[in-house]
Amino acid sequence: MDTITMEIFIGVLKIFSFVVPVLVSVALLVYLERKVLGAVQLRKGPNVVGPFGILQSFADVIKLITKENLLPSSSNKFLFIFAPMLTLILSLIAWAVIPVSSTYVIANINIGILYLFAVSSFGVYGVIIAGWASNSKYPFLGALRSAAQMISYEVSIGFVIITVLICVGSLNLIDIVESQKNLWFAIPLFPMFVVFIISALAETNRLPFDLPEDEATLVAGFFTEYSSISFGLFFLAEYANMILMSSLTVILFLGGWYPPLDIFPLNVIPGIFWFALKVFLILFVFLWVRATFPRYRYDQLMRLGWKIFLPLTLVWVVITSSFLFYFGLLPN
Amino acid sequence: MFLLGTFYFFASFLIFTCISVIFSKNPVNSVLFLVLAFLNSTFLFILIGAEFVGIILAIVYIGAVAILFLFVVMMLDIQITTLMFNIKRYIPLALLFAGVILAEIIYLTVFKSSKSNLSEIVRSSNNTEEIGNVLYTKYFIDFQLSGVVLLLAMIGAIVLTHVYRPSIKRQNIDKQNTTYSKDRIKLVDPKSGEGLNYNE
Repeated sequence: MDTITMEIFIGVLKIFSFVVPVLVSVALLVYLERKVLGAVQLRKGPNVVGPFGILQSFADVIKLITKENLLPSSSNKFLFIFAPMLTLILSLIAWAVIPVSSTYVIANINIGILYLFAVSSFGVYGVIIAGWASNSKYPFLGALRSAAQMISYEVSIGFVIITVLICVGSLNLIDIVESQKNLWFAIPLFPMFVVFIISALAETNRLPFDLPEDEATLVAGFFTEYSSISFGLFFLAEYANMILMSSLTVILFLGGWYPPLDIFPLNVIPGIFWFALKVFLILFVFLWVRATFPRYRYDQLMRLGWKIFLPLTLVWVVITSSFLFYFGLLPN
Repeated sequence: MFLLGTFYFFASFLIFTCISVIFSKNPVNSVLFLVLAFLNSTFLFILIGAEFVGIILAIVYIGAVAILFLFVVMMLDIQITTLMFNIKRYIPLALLFAGVILAEIIYLTVFKSSKSNLSEIVRSSNNTEEIGNVLYTKYFIDFQLSGVVLLLAMIGAIVLTHVYRPSIKRQNIDKQNTTYSKDRIKLVDPKSGEGLNYNE
């Protein structure tokens, strides 16, 4: 085997080593969500398939795949099938730049954070194409809501990222994590941390901001017309996006693969374990929020995004940069 | 060799998508082809090593501008026949723009030989830093001016479209949050046979 074939082979192996764990953890996350919701609502949750019901999600996937895929007769066939694929592809290609430990990453590029921001802003296309191609009123309304919502919250996510970047001085994700070796950004930038988690909920269309798939008013929102595996792809993509946004939170604010304290029993545990643990904690917050808060009304959602988060993050960018400049702490 | 092949692939795909933008019958397909065109030009930028410009192009044009286009076009029910009828009106304007852009390309590539300088910047390992260095020093005034132009455009759009209608009831959330139940609710004990007098 010559070197180029070898490189391609290693690249493919590396990609699989990210994609397979992500898809398996999506299945486990769905199981975890149902168990957590069950515990909060004093129920048992799934407990029949496999030990403690842990194989429930796999059974659901098999059920979805074997069902018939219905195409609405008045839909735009190509875009209707393409939209869920696009959504899942976008939620998976973002993993190309996520560093799970100081050395383990598929592509360590200089503009990693911009790449992630770009990919997450493309996510709205899957939803909006699905809503339009279905040619039906509820999906269309869901798509419109989703487009407005995701653009609104991207603005504040952008400012939060800028605040972190001012403190780091680099767009490289590994540099961002390494600059948090002594102090996680969640402590000095605590308000931004909270804004980021709330915006991540809105960006992934999770409760309390799941207006695009609001059952009470829109049946199932943008995937009302979808069935079988094309619905399954949307479902997979939503949970993969949750894991992605949690990883991004961990990278930006919770010190990535670094242990909470640099002392003996903690710092011998491999970094990837800490990374996974922190992602798990953020995911648990996502589920906890879902079980606790009622859904926002649409105008309240827009008000929160534009009249509260945007001014707050904008002021915080100015405060952070002034503080760093005054005390000479700006990175070179 | 591999690089050249990738370039020709993306460049030809870019030309194909641009032509499809113009000739698509359905306006929504046009916008989706436009998105593909932006994506291909992003790849071309990344191929010459200008990854920052490429990704910013993707974020701004695909992530925001094209979504707004799609948003508007999806809600319009455009008659395709009238669209084809009107297309001849725009040919002189289109030729003007094409001429200006062609002249710029010829000027940059043939007359102004700043090629060596450009490739030097592109080859440096971190072109984000290079752009930041010149953007806020050498081109500071131009950068701020373009920001002011964008701000003016935004304010203009808001002024043109925002009509204040006093008849619409608006929710004042601060006012709602600062009221107490005792200001709004009164416990009354009506006497038998008399009922309530609302004017009290």
